[in-house]
Amino acid sequence: MLLGRAGKGDEEAFTLLYRRHQAALYRLALRMSGNAWAAEEIVQDVFMTLMRDPKKYDPARGTLGGFLYGVTRNRVLKHLERSPHREVPLEEKNENGTGPGIVLVDATTPAIQAEKRERIEQVWAAVLDLRSEFREAVVLCELEERSYEEAAQMIGCPIGTIRSRLHRGRALLMARLEILRDSPRRPALPTQASVAK
Amino acid sequence: MTCNEFEELGLGAERDASLSDTQRAAAAAHAASCSRCAALRDSWEATRLELRSLAQATGTLAAPTRVEMRLRQQFRTQYHTPRARRMALAAAWGLAAGAMLVGAVSWVRWHNHQQKNIALTPNTLASSQGSPDENAGDGQTLVADNELSNFTLLPGVLPAETDGSAILIVRMQRGALGALGLPVNEDRAAEWIQVDLLVGSDGLPQAVRLPE
Repeated sequence: MLLGRAGKGDEEAFTLLYRRHQAALYRLALRMSGNAWAAEEIVQDVFMTLMRDPKKYDPARGTLGGFLYGVTRNRVLKHLERSPHREVPLEEKNENGTGPGIVLVDATTPAIQAEKRERIEQVWAAVLDLRSEFREAVVLCELEERSYEEAAQMIGCPIGTIRSRLHRGRALLMARLEILRDSPRRPALPTQASVAK
Repeated sequence: MTCNEFEELGLGAERDASLSDTQRAAAAAHAASCSRCAALRDSWEATRLELRSLAQATGTLAAPTRVEMRLRQQFRTQYHTPRARRMALAAAWGLAAGAMLVGAVSWVRWHNHQQKNIALTPNTLASSQGSPDENAGDGQTLVADNELSNFTLLPGVLPAETDGSAILIVRMQRGALGALGLPVNEDRAAEWIQVDLLVGSDGLPQAVRLPE
């Protein structure tokens, strides 16, 4: 409905469509790439594709959300092939809330917040260190809390493959995080300003 | 259930809807009896909590508003610009067609007017076959006497073939005859007269016939 209107040049319909789907796609791209700029580019690219050729989506083959998810996934995998080095952008958001990082909404002390932040950075870094197929399974099933069936449908593989990838991903994640749990707290990384001094 | 099976099936048993109740029970039983797998399950639970924290921390993120702005701009460029261009093109074609129509109508009217004039003044020598008597009863119509008699050659004009020449009826002041090189009675110079001018194919007057 919205896509049909958007295809005829209805800008409001396109905007509604974008607002309905963009957050989920952005989160998938960000969680998979660990790069806010890349996630932004990927989401933009996905909607550009939809804008230029809305007939690529075939309603007979599934929902529009699923289609967009699939396109986003392909773009993310291409991005990971091109630039395998990851980033973990956990800096604070801007005042207008448009910053690329995340905000820990927590009433605890700044020290505890900093510790939590560091731990989340470690977890994310461990996730991003996984090979893309294991990472994808972990992101879909553990971070996005999708069922194995949904994940299998999105990736286009049998449930057994998802189970197997999760098994490998879990093992690698646990090993990495166990090491970090047992290791003493590392000192805070020097900031660019202190390096400059 | 073996330890390997537990690692593969048991850790995600509560999320894996494809497992049967029997498999879930077997996984729970194995974890209760195997300390290694129980420790593994606890470790995974701790990891899951941390993953949940990461999911919560990134759960409210959305693409920056600039992405929407860029997309809307692109949308306008893609859909509205060609439409405006098409409209401008259609308007241009419309204007061109209108101009052509106006031109065609004007030409037809001018052509008809010319035809009418020729019909009203059949003064070309080529069409001099018609009898002036046909128009004798119409006092309003100016019809030249197509006979070439009584014409006086203008000074400096040599007798020549009259093919392509035309007789024009001209209403002028008598004094204007002086411009053609004819003698003029100064006393009657301001008098309006009607003369027949024999105009050559070059457009220059060759002879004049004064009314009686």
